[in-house]
Amino acid sequence: MEFVTHHPVLVVSLIKIAIALFVVMTALAYLTWFERKVVARIQSRWGPYWVGPHGLLQPLADGIKFLFKEDIVPPAADKISYVLAPFLALALALTTLALIPIGPATISILGQPTQLVISHSNVALILLFAISSIGIYAVVLAGWSSNSKYPLMGGLRSSAQMISYEVSLTLSVVGVLLIAGSFDFYDIVGGQSGHWVHVIPKWHIFPQILGFICYLTAAIAETNRVPFDLPEAETELVAGFHTEYSSFKFAMFFMAEYANMITVSCLATLLFLGGWLSPFPETGAWRWQLYLPAAGLIIAGIGLIVGGLRGVQLSAKLVFPVLGIVCLGVGYLCTLPGVMPVIQGPFWFTAKVFFLLFFYVWARGTLPRFRYDQLMSFGWKFLLPLSLINLVVTSLVVVLRLR
Amino acid sequence: MFPPLQDLYRIAPELVLCAFGMLVMLIDPFVPATRKRSMGWLAFAGTLVALASLRWAALNQGSAYSGLFRVDMFSLFVHAIVIGVSALAILGSFDYLDRENIQRGEYYALILFATAGMGILAGSTELITAFVGLEMSSISTYILVGFRRTVLKSNESSLKYFLLGSFATAFFLYGIALTYGATRSTRFDVVNQAIAAHGAGPLLILGLGLIFVGLGFKVVAAPFQIYTPDVYEGAPTPVTAILACGPKAAAFAVMLRIFYSAFGSASHVWFWAIWVSAILTMCIGNFAALVQTNVKRLLAYSSIAHAGYILVAFAAASEIGVAAVLFYLAAYAAMTLGAFLIVAHVGGTNEQRLNIEDYAGLGTKHPWIAACFALFLFSLLGLPATGGFLGKLYAFQSALDQRIVWLVVIAAVNSVIGAYYYLKVVVAMYFHESNKEWAPMPMRAPMFVVLLLTAIATIYFGVLPNRLMELAIASARSLR
Amino acid sequence: MNGSYLDSYAPLLLMFLLAAGLAAVLIIASSVVGRHLKVRAKDQPYECGIRPTGDAREPYSVHFYMVAMIFILFDIEAIFLYPWAIVFKQLNMFGFVEMLLYIAILVVGYIYLWKKGALEWK
Repeated sequence: MEFVTHHPVLVVSLIKIAIALFVVMTALAYLTWFERKVVARIQSRWGPYWVGPHGLLQPLADGIKFLFKEDIVPPAADKISYVLAPFLALALALTTLALIPIGPATISILGQPTQLVISHSNVALILLFAISSIGIYAVVLAGWSSNSKYPLMGGLRSSAQMISYEVSLTLSVVGVLLIAGSFDFYDIVGGQSGHWVHVIPKWHIFPQILGFICYLTAAIAETNRVPFDLPEAETELVAGFHTEYSSFKFAMFFMAEYANMITVSCLATLLFLGGWLSPFPETGAWRWQLYLPAAGLIIAGIGLIVGGLRGVQLSAKLVFPVLGIVCLGVGYLCTLPGVMPVIQGPFWFTAKVFFLLFFYVWARGTLPRFRYDQLMSFGWKFLLPLSLINLVVTSLVVVLRLR
Repeated sequence: MFPPLQDLYRIAPELVLCAFGMLVMLIDPFVPATRKRSMGWLAFAGTLVALASLRWAALNQGSAYSGLFRVDMFSLFVHAIVIGVSALAILGSFDYLDRENIQRGEYYALILFATAGMGILAGSTELITAFVGLEMSSISTYILVGFRRTVLKSNESSLKYFLLGSFATAFFLYGIALTYGATRSTRFDVVNQAIAAHGAGPLLILGLGLIFVGLGFKVVAAPFQIYTPDVYEGAPTPVTAILACGPKAAAFAVMLRIFYSAFGSASHVWFWAIWVSAILTMCIGNFAALVQTNVKRLLAYSSIAHAGYILVAFAAASEIGVAAVLFYLAAYAAMTLGAFLIVAHVGGTNEQRLNIEDYAGLGTKHPWIAACFALFLFSLLGLPATGGFLGKLYAFQSALDQRIVWLVVIAAVNSVIGAYYYLKVVVAMYFHESNKEWAPMPMRAPMFVVLLLTAIATIYFGVLPNRLMELAIASARSLR
Repeated sequence: MNGSYLDSYAPLLLMFLLAAGLAAVLIIASSVVGRHLKVRAKDQPYECGIRPTGDAREPYSVHFYMVAMIFILFDIEAIFLYPWAIVFKQLNMFGFVEMLLYIAILVVGYIYLWKKGALEWK
């Protein structure tokens, strides 16, 4: 108890971590649902439909199924690294989220000034890259320890791909650093406030459009997603590095992949899309934007009620109106003066991250897969020079504007 | 905040070498395989420009980069040796690389990078800078040693050199760490002041010992010489020529600087280490050379023995001793370079003629080559009127001046022993019947020029040593 | 320990511990909850249904090593660029020229790699 009173920071962050982990785990689960739904729509299918209304309980069912599947550890496998790999993958993927702030530094909740980040560091960006790059070990370990040919090849390919694109990923960010002059996310986002000619937000995506494209491409490749999902090229490598994994260990690789997707999307939001900043100016005429979160929720709520009542499934008819009412309630809460300023940052942040995640899924539904040699030469021969050029041009512009 | 422009002039030779090295790397992929020799000429031009830029550096003598690097007579002298060796070795490599079918641009680029590293070693007045130079020259030479990729022996020696060399540099680095821990600086002058003020504690002595291990490896001082014969034998012979001269000269230079400038106040500590090492080096080199049948290995052991002679002058720890070391290095570079390049030339395709009996009949078939080889061997042996003789003379003299009598006696006995194996080769060349057919050995202009220059230098240093000795003494003076 | 240090990094450590704990619980839970039924074929490495041949830990293409080496080179380049980018505005033109030289040197290596076919995947 004495420890707690001496270190209030730990207690507060414990609460934050609990919330963050809960939100992220839920988000992970529903990201799979979202992805399946969107891809299904792109391919003119329905996607998950029967487990719960519109398949909403599908992620839960999947989780339970994974849990009750037989957990096979191949006798030939190197036991320690075999177990360590999924453990590392998930633990590290979740840890990186601790460094991502979702709202401005000056915010008070219940009268207490609170930072909407678990761990605030002035070298957060480097730390984030450092922690996430350890994730490659998980892939290598998984591929090697399985003692099977497909995982070995898949692991090698994935790790080669990940390190190849990591170079472009790290280089593409330097342009932003040049403009921002700090590793601290608060400074980086703070530098993106304001507007050009009163309408265009000063987000880094506009001067750094090349850097953004490089980053996004490299990030998709880093997370082994379509069109760079070679490691999981079923036709060639069965299931890549996790061929020999089963039960929840298998699921953990996917959880890690989705967590990484969220992380890189958050990072893109912070670095290029102005983080939690609203795209609209903060002048009096634009005050209505403060009601946007509430408005969005209320519209969603009405949509849920109406859509649910008109739906075919009985479960949808029962559940959706209830969800709609909850949405309306939360929407009303967002108009309260105590909540409204707090909710603005996270609202915009989440909206942008959601958009990027949608982009991810969209890309998966649209693009064909690269061939492995194309993938490697794309990374080394196109992306790397492009991000280098971006870096040089940016530094030239910055230095000329200093004169 | 920013270093002055003058500092750039001071490292001009290194800049030139690196720039040309990169130029070679850049152009090489675009040059068709049959015309790679042009890369050699480009690299040679680079060494010439670097030699010319020494003049520029000489006009801007002084400390550069806040005491990391220093241009003085001493560093210029060693620079001249190192760059000269590389220039001549490049010329001497053309035919060899053609014969072995390994004519590649990287070879020349690596030589240039290694030379730049040696230059940094020669000029460094700070331990980390020295380490950077050491690594630059080492890593390039690791690759050069394994340049005959299809030859197992070359790979073996490259790997050996790499593994042991990494160990040695690790020791060196650890020594730096301990020295820094003891004196709170890695700059030679500050270290020296700290030792003068506080004396040499156990930490510092350990650091010094580890630094000696690292550098002893490079100068092939016993007991860190074990790798030498294997590596020298497996390496392409022109690379062996460079290894025996360049890195050794540079490592001796930085050793002089570290031991005299940084640890000058602790000379009583390192004197006996050098003393013992010198005796071991000479004896191991000479006695092992006695039983060699392979000329390349024989010369490798002889290079160990010569490191021992240089250590004798080193132990003198006087101005004249430093001058003797420098003179020895210059004379030794000329004769060893020549000797190894002749071995490369006589060796033929795949280095077939390497044994002593293979040299039988060389005197009658190729009298000029044999004469040159005999000259270099006599110089290595230390016959009067050659550079080797005066080198030894100055070295022993400087040690005697400091009353290190026993060391000199052992050294003198050793050089007499050395006579046996050098003469064995000469006897084979002139008095034995050839048992192998001598293929014609066309010598092209670059090789001819190199042999001519090294032979002239060997005789010149032996007959008219004054000019070189004056320079060496001036260099030694600037070391303070 | 410094207070601000604790403030920044203790939560990060806590996050890691909790995330690791979560991962560990998931691993243990799945192995405890799931049924276990030993079958010989199940224990064999998967090779498309045929009997596995030989050991999986066989030598693989040297190209992977090459990629790893190139990665180290360029990643170190990137890491050196990070602090440079932060102090870039103080360094001004000097910093720009220095880094241009630095990048130029790496570009030489890059062109070399490219032309030598190290980036080609065979």
